[in-house]
Amino acid sequence: MEKNIYKPIKCEVLDNIKESPTINTIILKPYEEFSFLAGQFASFTVPGIGEAPFTPSSSPFDKEKLEFTVMKVGRVTEKIHQLKKGDIVGVRGPYGKPYPLENFKGKDVLLVGGGVGLAPIRALFLALVETYKNYNKIVFCCGARTPQDYIYKELIFDEWQKLCEKIPLSFRITVDKKDENWKYMEGVVTKTLDGLDMDIKNGVAIVCGPPIMMKFTTLKLLEIGFAEKDIYLSMERKMYCAVGHCRHCMIGDLFVCKDGPVFTYEQLKDKPNIWA
Amino acid sequence: MEKLYISLTDWIKFLRGKIEERIIYAPIDNEGLLFYEILNEGNIEKVVYNRARPVEPLKLFLYPFKERTYPELENIPQIVVIGPASCDLKGTEILDRVFKDSEFKDPNYFKRKENTLIISIDCKNPYKTCFCTVVGVRPYPEENYDLNLSFIENGFIIEIGSEKGRNFIGEDTRFYNVTESQIKILNEERKNVIQKIEEINEEYNLKNFENLKGMFQKEYWEKPVDVKNCVSCGSCTSNCPTCVCFLLEDTSEKDAFKKVKVWDSCLFPGYAKMASGETPRPTLYERYANRLLCKYWYMKENFGMFGCTGCGRCISGCIGKIDKRKVLSEVLREKLKV
Repeated sequence: MEKNIYKPIKCEVLDNIKESPTINTIILKPYEEFSFLAGQFASFTVPGIGEAPFTPSSSPFDKEKLEFTVMKVGRVTEKIHQLKKGDIVGVRGPYGKPYPLENFKGKDVLLVGGGVGLAPIRALFLALVETYKNYNKIVFCCGARTPQDYIYKELIFDEWQKLCEKIPLSFRITVDKKDENWKYMEGVVTKTLDGLDMDIKNGVAIVCGPPIMMKFTTLKLLEIGFAEKDIYLSMERKMYCAVGHCRHCMIGDLFVCKDGPVFTYEQLKDKPNIWA
Repeated sequence: MEKLYISLTDWIKFLRGKIEERIIYAPIDNEGLLFYEILNEGNIEKVVYNRARPVEPLKLFLYPFKERTYPELENIPQIVVIGPASCDLKGTEILDRVFKDSEFKDPNYFKRKENTLIISIDCKNPYKTCFCTVVGVRPYPEENYDLNLSFIENGFIIEIGSEKGRNFIGEDTRFYNVTESQIKILNEERKNVIQKIEEINEEYNLKNFENLKGMFQKEYWEKPVDVKNCVSCGSCTSNCPTCVCFLLEDTSEKDAFKKVKVWDSCLFPGYAKMASGETPRPTLYERYANRLLCKYWYMKENFGMFGCTGCGRCISGCIGKIDKRKVLSEVLREKLKV
């Protein structure tokens, strides 16, 4: 019999970590092999509640476990936040097109992540670090509303920064509103794009964050000279089937589930309501 | 193409022999409208063969309103559907393309199709809402059927479209070879129906659909006065032979996963609304536009054909009495002015 396209893989919850007041990272152990490439997504089933699409935030090279960083915004994500060690959930996928790492070869790679948008960027970042020799340099711009809203605090403020000594990597970190202990920039994430030390003409930019952040970041990137085809956006839409049948996730004639979720700005610029 | 002839009386006798062994659906008049009913001794003589498409689209049988999709269904019944018109058959081409993506095949759709014998009919009396010829569909089936019936001279010319159709007739001696004069009548009548549909649609400006490409700004769709009458009921999408949108319900019990597909409608405000409350189409005009752009732009890009077969169900079933042809005509004219 053919494999049923809606069959989830059983996964056990290993841990559920609080990242910020509204964001958790759920660590899963899949009972069957589940491999993905950075940027691809999966549909996460909370049994009896519903299903929602997320891009894994763990390293694509880690075959033992699978992590999702999820913001609590609705019915399904609220239940995901309540999951406990030992609970069984479902995951099906991976779906969609990954970040085209081969297009980044020999280039200056700029990552721009805001809020929970740092989740897919984390998987990409880990993949880039693993293959860092392929790229000229990596510049990682991070933003969040306040220092408390940052996810991956230990990684961003400590562990990952240590990598800068070993590989051509630099960080530009900001918050919209700082507190007394904050030692990085203050201002919205587009501010980190001022005075970038990179070869923009030979650069690619990968952006993920809330719609408003993606919009203004894209406009800024265009302004400082990035080509439309070199700006990669991770898009999000209401989604059910994840396989191009149910048509909920369409942006014009493009399917976020099949043609995306990673698109270049060039692909999207003439499509309806892309910043919703 | 093999063509046979059978008298109406013999056809009814033939069907009588079949209703014992299979569930057969056929269109019956109900206060002026045609609805599918399961044939039995009581209604077998009341089937209407000489009008146009029934109220329900053929998709209802191949892709029901609600069905379990994981685990897939085990027992899909063998049925016969008499009565779909050419516009309905054309619609199955879209369904085929949607549900058999290059990588992902729907678990139930193709099994249902395999178990359904389609006996289509020639459209004889098009409704005021019919516009198949405008979108390049003929009012008589040319493919996608097992048998096709064309009512002439108190009997039918039967075209055999598949092995399945041939086997349904078997060696029954009530079917004769068709005569040349009958073929002549058939061709003449078909030509007349095309002409009728063209006359019905003369008043509209339904050409250059490719101009709709890029017309998603709501300003275009606010102008036609009727669009504001849309009440987002989803009648147009339910009755459409090519509207396929569905949502997935999760009815899993613990680790026994279960997924159920339920029709959805892009006219519903919640259709594209994300958990955050954000939606790419917050206004009625954008949602209304989306449906038509999907028909004449997105599906054309996705599948190389329009997602509209001109059946007119979205016009006849509209609570707000919106005539899509009028709206499209106005929008297309507006585009030329810009």
